[in-house]
Amino acid sequence: MLEINNLHASVDGKQILKGIDLKVSSGEVHAIMGPNGSGKSTLSTVIAGHEDFEIDKGEILFEDEDLIDFNTEERAHKGIFLSFQYPVEIPGVTVTNFIKTSINQMRKANGLDEMPANVMLKKIREKSDLLKIDSKFLSRSLNEGFSGGEKKRNEIFQMAMLEPKLAILDETDSGLDIDALKIVANGVNMLRNDDTAVVLITHYQRLLDYIVPDFVHVLSDGKIVKSGNKNLAIELEAKGYDWVK
Amino acid sequence: MDFKEKLISSFMVFEQDIDLSNPVHEIRSRSLKKFEEKGFPNKKQEAWKYTSLAKILKSDYGIFQKKEVTIELKDVQKYFLYEIDTYKIVFIDGIYSPFLSDTTHDGLDVCLLSAALTNPKYKSLINKYFNKISDKTDSLTLLNTSFSMEGAYIYLPKSVTAEKPIEIMHFSTGKQGDFFLQPRNLIIVEENAEVQILERHQSLSNHRPFTNSVTEIYAKDSSRIDYYKIQNDREEAYLIDNTYISQNTKSNVHVHTFSFGGEITRNNLNFYQNGENCNSTLNGLTIINATQHVDHYTLVSHAQPNCESHQEYKGIFSGKSVGVFNGKILVDKIAQKTNAFQQNNNIVIDDRATINTKPQLEIFADDVKCSHGCTIGQLDEEALFYLRTRGIPINEARGLLTYAFANNVLDSVKIPKLKSRINQIISSKLEIKIRHEL
Amino acid sequence: MAYTEEELKKELETKEYEYGFYTDIESETFPKGLNEETVIAISKRKNEPDWMLEWRINAFNAWKKMEEPDWANINYKRPDYQDISYYSAPKKKEKYKSLDEVDPELIETFNKLGISIDEQKKLSGVAVDIVMDSVSVATTFRDTLEKKGIIFCSISDAIKEHPELVKKYLGTVIPPKDNFFAALNSAVFSDGSFCYIPKGVKCPMELSTYFRINQAGTGQFERTLVIADKGSYVSYLEGCTAPSRDENQLHAACVELIALDDAEIKYSTVQNWYPGDKHGNGGVFNFVTKRGICHKNSKISWTQVETGSAITWKYPSCILKGNNSIGEFYSIAVTNNFQQADTGTKMIHIGKNTKSTIISKGISAGKSQNSYRGLVRVNPGAKNARNFSQCDSLLMGNSCGAHTFPYIEAKNNSAQIEHEATTSKIGEDQIFYCNQRGIDTEKAIALIVNGFSKEVLNKLPMEFAVEAQKLLEISLEGSVG
Repeated sequence: MLEINNLHASVDGKQILKGIDLKVSSGEVHAIMGPNGSGKSTLSTVIAGHEDFEIDKGEILFEDEDLIDFNTEERAHKGIFLSFQYPVEIPGVTVTNFIKTSINQMRKANGLDEMPANVMLKKIREKSDLLKIDSKFLSRSLNEGFSGGEKKRNEIFQMAMLEPKLAILDETDSGLDIDALKIVANGVNMLRNDDTAVVLITHYQRLLDYIVPDFVHVLSDGKIVKSGNKNLAIELEAKGYDWVK
Repeated sequence: MDFKEKLISSFMVFEQDIDLSNPVHEIRSRSLKKFEEKGFPNKKQEAWKYTSLAKILKSDYGIFQKKEVTIELKDVQKYFLYEIDTYKIVFIDGIYSPFLSDTTHDGLDVCLLSAALTNPKYKSLINKYFNKISDKTDSLTLLNTSFSMEGAYIYLPKSVTAEKPIEIMHFSTGKQGDFFLQPRNLIIVEENAEVQILERHQSLSNHRPFTNSVTEIYAKDSSRIDYYKIQNDREEAYLIDNTYISQNTKSNVHVHTFSFGGEITRNNLNFYQNGENCNSTLNGLTIINATQHVDHYTLVSHAQPNCESHQEYKGIFSGKSVGVFNGKILVDKIAQKTNAFQQNNNIVIDDRATINTKPQLEIFADDVKCSHGCTIGQLDEEALFYLRTRGIPINEARGLLTYAFANNVLDSVKIPKLKSRINQIISSKLEIKIRHEL
Repeated sequence: MAYTEEELKKELETKEYEYGFYTDIESETFPKGLNEETVIAISKRKNEPDWMLEWRINAFNAWKKMEEPDWANINYKRPDYQDISYYSAPKKKEKYKSLDEVDPELIETFNKLGISIDEQKKLSGVAVDIVMDSVSVATTFRDTLEKKGIIFCSISDAIKEHPELVKKYLGTVIPPKDNFFAALNSAVFSDGSFCYIPKGVKCPMELSTYFRINQAGTGQFERTLVIADKGSYVSYLEGCTAPSRDENQLHAACVELIALDDAEIKYSTVQNWYPGDKHGNGGVFNFVTKRGICHKNSKISWTQVETGSAITWKYPSCILKGNNSIGEFYSIAVTNNFQQADTGTKMIHIGKNTKSTIISKGISAGKSQNSYRGLVRVNPGAKNARNFSQCDSLLMGNSCGAHTFPYIEAKNNSAQIEHEATTSKIGEDQIFYCNQRGIDTEKAIALIVNGFSKEVLNKLPMEFAVEAQKLLEISLEGSVG
């Protein structure tokens, strides 16, 4: 599904990714771990297509198409979802209104009609119940005044609504208490099936207790320095990142 | 003959005493001509909508010193920060008093503008800086420029930190009747230099001094200036204070204006940011009563990217006093990433007091954070109630809350003795007893 | 690959003002120029009583001595007041009794405007008065309203049929000599709407006036007078469009609202006069005086969505005369290309316990200038007056300006006044976030702007809110960059 070959990327002339190779097939969950500043967030942002980042070398293939030809929203239309580490506030736009716009724009891009209001409503209710989201929350302005946990839960809610093929979760676990973490993990596990893939970007092993990854990669100074199975994460937790450097 | 005519005809008398070949004189006569065209400002002008000079201009003022007046240090010591060592530039009825002053040329210049204007040694600096940033369309500034002669001249060379504060003091004795004073200060702080300056106008007897002061301040790269204006004159005094500040890259200028005294006070405070990463701070505290009138007119012109400005003006008004705040933030097209904040909070104690406030934003750049806010209100009734349930009588409770409202403006005063001095003035103005632990 | 921003820009630039068509209807148009004869001719043409003519002449004499104001933050070429025709009316008109009698061309015009008179009549239950150029051409629902004692008609009809009401209230809130444009309007106004809600009556439907300038070289000077008698309620809507023309067209209207004791008037405007083209040619000069007076326990609420006009000079105000009265002002002003808007409100607190709220949202794009100008005055007798003001500006692009000029004058120590203002731009991070959720940049901006304006959009009646949202989107098209 996702194939990254020798990816070099920089921002403001500063090289951050220095040759990443990564292959994610459908049905898989990959965890990318690494110390602060290793380039984890940059990787996710580059996959999503942020214009501030320059791809200097290499390629990102999504379902065998080179993503470089597509802008951010087109990548989203193809089924790439990024759960932001710091979700953005949009005052005056409610969660419901936002997700409605998002879904209908996706459908439009894929040649579908708008989702009928009653179907939309039903789906919103269903997903918010699953994620234990209060209906009052849905009529609040997007991320405005949300606590850290609420913001992350809102990201997972949008993911559940949009049902992407590839979900990249950037530090979705940071700032969550254990109950919230379980809810988030539950949301991710719901998405897991043979046709979807998940990339978890995380600093800690904690989340991986709830979402068990098929592969674990360690990112350090813009490169993947070690790959392995879920045991690698446990080993990392015990030995620290210096061990892989 | 009205006062304007008197001033214009006095110019010839003034010319008899000065060196007419000095290039500064050309500036003086040009300014007088423009003043003659414009005259004193009136309420029809937007900038003077809420402050009338009519009352000031009704009186007649002496313009030239008739005789030299001396005063004893012990009589005026209390107006100085006598507890600590300071440089002092002292004027009595507009004439320099060497006896009360403590100037220097050792490492930095703290001296007289008249000396700087006439001494060839300073010629290049005067040419470069004198009357360069003052507003050439403001009639009161023009008037000051035409008669500009005396005031403070302060020069800090590169990387010099003045090791003690500089006090600029203007006494008005009243021995020559109502008197018109036009001090002119020029302050140049070179790269990475640092200085603290206090300015005070003080009349010593029952009479009406009318002061029209102009100060030009140049803050070069990475310089740091703290400027304190203590306006606690007797209740008859009129003061118009015009201050122009030019800031270069990474400079940091902080002006505090404490307005407690005087009958009519108008502060025109203008900041021009001409380099990146400048920081301008304007703090003001006004506590007035009776028929006092204080007008703060501020301008912060953001002309370069990545700069900041912070304005906080607070006022407490009783009696029939009038408070005016007119703050303007201007953000030029190229001044991206500007952060400009302005806040004006007022408490009205008496129902005859008036507040007029006009905080303005004029923004031409899109990537900026600008905000202003103002409030007019009373003391928090609930807080008052809370204090009373703790046994504090209502008057003390009021005083305490008012004091608390005013107090945070003092947080940024860096000279401890000055802070406690202002604290004393505040508590006496508010008629409350506060223990000072400073 | 999607098209680039450049291509997008180009496409949008060619998009035209949707309402810029001209209807070919035979009109009677006065020759250009303004003098006492013109004023007399207008009055005569409308068969007005003598007192009305006298009122106009007085206003005209005052106007001659006045100067066009220059304090607003706008730059424009002063109109030549002698180069304007002061009266233009669709010909062949006697009063239409029903819509069937209305010129089909005219019906077509309103269909194009999205105001299907028939539809409105059947479905939405909005009573509409339509003023084309200077004359009211159709008023719907007149009979239904009459049953409740509500008078809703053109002001010309009101002058003839309800002289006692017009005489009593006309010019009481905006005296003819109030300002240059008000004086001009008082002298030459040709039509407008009149509305009277009797004591205790809640008007059962929205009342609405659509204004359109059609003829070239004409000015439009309409006059609206709304009187809500004791304990009554009315919600009034006003919409405006004009054809695209290279020349500037002058619009100088007056709206007076009178809310008697315990009454409430809600007045909403969607102003979409032709704004001029992308080079700043043409467009309507919109100089409008709107003011309401609140008596005891009454409430006046102004809501405006200003997207059109080359120049907007407009300050819907409330005189809070009665104790416990309430004034509100909710505004969205969008400027794009070379548009200039100087708009805001005045809240004059005279009575005790009076309250006012001001929410102003300014959005500037292109090379436009957008100013908020407001006055909150608390008079000495206005014990316990309260005001809250919030003025937010959103800038799009780096060639526009956003300005805030609030005047606050408090002469009473029990006043509580709060004013807040912020200026911001649409964040790149917000756009990226939307993009990631599959929302393209154009749509993302619309979404963010709608969010920014929400507090005001919420105040509009349903029918208008949707239209207003669409207008916001259209007005900002091509501003991405």
